[in-house]
Amino acid sequence: MLKINNLHVSVGDKPILKGLTLDVPAGEVHAIMGPNGAGKSTLGYALSGRPGYEATEGSVEWAGEDLLALEPAERAAKGVFLSFQYPIEIPGVPALTFVRTALNAQKRARGEEEVAAPAFLKLVREASKALKMDFDMLKRPLNVGFSGGEKKRMEILQMALLEPSLLILDETDSGLDIDALRIVSEGVNALRRPDRAMLVITHYQRLLDYIKPDRVHVLAGGRIVASGGPELALQLEAEGYDKYLPPVLEGAA
Amino acid sequence: MSAAFNIDLTDAESFPSRRNEAWKYSDLKRWLREAPQPSPTAAVGAPGPFYDLGGDAIVFANGRAVGVTDFIASGEQTLRLRYISDAVGTGHSAGARVAVRAGAKLLLLETHEGAGSAYVAHNTLELDVAAGAEVTRVVLVEEPEDAISVSEAHVKVEAGGVYRQTIIATGAKLQRIETRLSHFAQGAHVQADGLYLLNGSRHTDLTSVVRHMEHDGTTSQLIKGVARDTARGVFQGKIVVERGADGTDARMGHHALIASERAEIDAKPELIIYADDVQCAHGNTVGTLDESALFYMEQRGIPAEEARALLTQAFLIEVIDRIEHEGAREVAREWLTARL
Amino acid sequence: MAAVKETIDAVAALEKYAHGFTSDIEQEFAPRGLNADIVRFISEKKGEPEWMLEWRLAAYERWLAMEEPTWAAVKYEPVDYQDLFYYAAPKQKEGPKSLDEVDPEILEIYKKLGIPLKEQEVLAGVQGAPRVAVDAVFDSVSVVTTFKEELAKVGVIFMPISEALREYPELVRQYLGSVVPVSDNYFAALNSAVFSDGSFVYIPPGVRCPMELSTYFRINASQTGQFERTLIIADKGSYVSYLEGCTAPMRDENQLHAAVVEIVALDDAEVKYSTVQNWYPGDAEGKGGIYNFVTKRADCRGDRSKVSWTQVETGSAVTWKYPSCILKGDDSSGEFYSIAITNGHQQADTGTKMIHLGKNTKSRIIAKAVSAGKSDSTYRGLVSVHPKATGVRNFTQCDSLLIGKECGSHTIPYIEARNGSAQLEHEATTTRLSDDQLFYAQQRGLSQEEAVALLVNGFVRDVMQKLPMEFAVEAQKLVAISLEGSVG
Repeated sequence: MLKINNLHVSVGDKPILKGLTLDVPAGEVHAIMGPNGAGKSTLGYALSGRPGYEATEGSVEWAGEDLLALEPAERAAKGVFLSFQYPIEIPGVPALTFVRTALNAQKRARGEEEVAAPAFLKLVREASKALKMDFDMLKRPLNVGFSGGEKKRMEILQMALLEPSLLILDETDSGLDIDALRIVSEGVNALRRPDRAMLVITHYQRLLDYIKPDRVHVLAGGRIVASGGPELALQLEAEGYDKYLPPVLEGAA
Repeated sequence: MSAAFNIDLTDAESFPSRRNEAWKYSDLKRWLREAPQPSPTAAVGAPGPFYDLGGDAIVFANGRAVGVTDFIASGEQTLRLRYISDAVGTGHSAGARVAVRAGAKLLLLETHEGAGSAYVAHNTLELDVAAGAEVTRVVLVEEPEDAISVSEAHVKVEAGGVYRQTIIATGAKLQRIETRLSHFAQGAHVQADGLYLLNGSRHTDLTSVVRHMEHDGTTSQLIKGVARDTARGVFQGKIVVERGADGTDARMGHHALIASERAEIDAKPELIIYADDVQCAHGNTVGTLDESALFYMEQRGIPAEEARALLTQAFLIEVIDRIEHEGAREVAREWLTARL
Repeated sequence: MAAVKETIDAVAALEKYAHGFTSDIEQEFAPRGLNADIVRFISEKKGEPEWMLEWRLAAYERWLAMEEPTWAAVKYEPVDYQDLFYYAAPKQKEGPKSLDEVDPEILEIYKKLGIPLKEQEVLAGVQGAPRVAVDAVFDSVSVVTTFKEELAKVGVIFMPISEALREYPELVRQYLGSVVPVSDNYFAALNSAVFSDGSFVYIPPGVRCPMELSTYFRINASQTGQFERTLIIADKGSYVSYLEGCTAPMRDENQLHAAVVEIVALDDAEVKYSTVQNWYPGDAEGKGGIYNFVTKRADCRGDRSKVSWTQVETGSAVTWKYPSCILKGDDSSGEFYSIAITNGHQQADTGTKMIHLGKNTKSRIIAKAVSAGKSDSTYRGLVSVHPKATGVRNFTQCDSLLIGKECGSHTIPYIEARNGSAQLEHEATTTRLSDDQLFYAQQRGLSQEEAVALLVNGFVRDVMQKLPMEFAVEAQKLVAISLEGSVG
């Protein structure tokens, strides 16, 4: 379903991804693990089209479409959702307004009918309950003054409401205590479906105790250098990333 | 130097140029070399944006008063002050005087409703706020892109008076909206807000001079603006604390977004302080829309243009939210949203 | 708490204006007044090339056509430009070749001021003490420049500008007036016509100047204007830190000081320019004192070049001074750190201009003003972003502290942004010295003056830290001295 072939991405003049190839079939959860600076976040940004992350070579095919040719909002309408490692604060825009605007923009782009306010509020109430979120928080400006855990829950809430088909989770566990981690993971697991693909980007194995991957890939030096089953994550946890680091980098980290 | 310019539309000699420090960013003389021919009479058409809020009205059409020009408020009143311009290439002046009696409460709803093209308008308002009186003034200014206008308000606030104003401007060829305000006696409270939203090659200049002449006055000023295309936004805010005006608390903030490569923002936030027991501060920022917020919104499926408009509105709305009167606030909100 | 101790000691040990002594030095003057012949006289005295005389005469013509600026928030008795001496020099046959030939009286003055002019004295000092090369300018001429030979070994040229005009005329000609044009302003034009000396610095490509360079200005003669000119050229990839100090005797008359400083920074060069300005401020009634009308400007001509101005302004009756940066090179940056302290009847109108012309240029302004007595202090600044300058960043912070009911403090920033990608931030505050803090310090045993000095030093600390170490110590003492008698 997601086919990444020989992808090269530069930020400014600096090449970060250097020939990344990866297939994620529908219904599967793939974990991307790797040392700091390997290009994990860059992969998430490149797939979602962040300005400044330029694909210089290779291709990304998603549901038969050339993803790299689309604007960020067009990709979103095609079902691409990036859960940000550091969700952005947007003063002056209440969370509810934001999510409804996004949902209706996506529906418009897909030629679907927009959701009216009462129906939307009903959806939000249910979704926020499942994530144990205070509904009043959604009346506040998006993410402004939210704690780290609240921001991550807000991301999962949006994921639940926008119903994407390609879910990219960038370090979703960072900044979460164990209780928050469980709630967030449950929220993510509830979204697993045969027609959805999921890419879980993480530095630590911990998250994968909660979100069980079908496949685990090691990203180092801008490429996938190893792939395996869930056991690979445990092996990485025990042995670290040292053997995947190119010799020149030794000691530099 | 800091005294108000006595502009007389019939006398080109009276037009300030950028050589006058207070008009550095709004060169009236450059755009208006000669005195314009007087405007013909005009009809009062539509009822104006604040019609639904009722109250009394002072109306000028091309400078000519339709009824009274002076108003004395007592008790609790609403006054709509309408400057209507509908002229082509001609000029007109209008002057209103409003006095608010001690302890009275006035909602002053001012509109500058421009039609036609290339006219020149000069409006003055004298406003006295007596001891303990309370005034909320909301000003909506909409004019053709090629009009020139200069509006001056001279406001005097007596002991314990409360004066709040919010100016909302969309610019013109040259648009200057000036407020000269004095804390004439002790313990007055002033809020002097404004916002501007400029498209095309429009220019607006929000200038204010707030003078603390007596002790324990407070001034709070929040100005926000957005300049798009090749527009130019100007803010000149001066707070003067005179000798002996101890206990003054004055805060001024101007925050502007430049939303295109070729727009311009000029700001001059001044503090002139001659008393030592004061708390005064100003802040000024000029920037662009937050790129990471834009990307975040686009990632969630909101197209770039819509995301920009939403962020722009979110940026400006803070000024509207500070309007004390609910009815006026909602009219202002709708008025602004329709022009985003 | 070393700084506190320093401050307290300084208050206790020093007179109000410790540098106010006069010295009887046999001097040679140009005839009183200003005309083309005086300009010729100065040029001839200096043995200048013909082009330089023409340059000066052209500047004089320009000056005649200009008007003295009135926009600054300062008031002063008009200067009678025809009643001044434009040239005063200690009498001697030729420019001194070595220290031994310098009038011992002059050496004595610098010794009194604490400026070491004998290299061996510097070397004999405390182990590890920083070495500073000094150019000592006495009224209109440079009397001695130290460490010249050692600097020459690494290719650094550090000498009086009058000497540089003779030895490196092409280098001077290439850069003189290229940052501050002759007709830039009234005082710059006057300076261009009559400047008599000052320092010239050239740092060759890739050289990190091995020691701090310093010029020490002393006005001694009566009824004399001092017009010095400093030109600093930092070639590609070089670095220099430059210090400037100044004092003058206490005199009843107002004396004019109209200097011009030009800095050129080429690709990757960095210049730090620090000033402790301690000209005589006048007496308690506002009589006498220096009119300090100075034009200082840096041209960050090269990509990634950097210029940093730090100033501590405690002296002068009237100050009119805006050390500025023209950020022409891409990725260049400018900084301005200022402490302005006024007391008595002093007036200061000072600030900076950051002109952003290049892409991704950055500037930072931190200005602290302290006003006491009947003084008036104004921060006036401009941050301007030109249409082609993308990615510009500026941060400005101006804080003012008022001590007493009769002083004034003003903040007048101009912000002009003509590019959509600029991010400019400006903050300013004005407050008074906190009674609570004063009382707290006094309760712990500090005298009122000590407490004021302590709190004010705290207020200006951010900027103080930007000064080179030995300068910072001097500056802290000055803060204490400048504010004597400000409370109570």
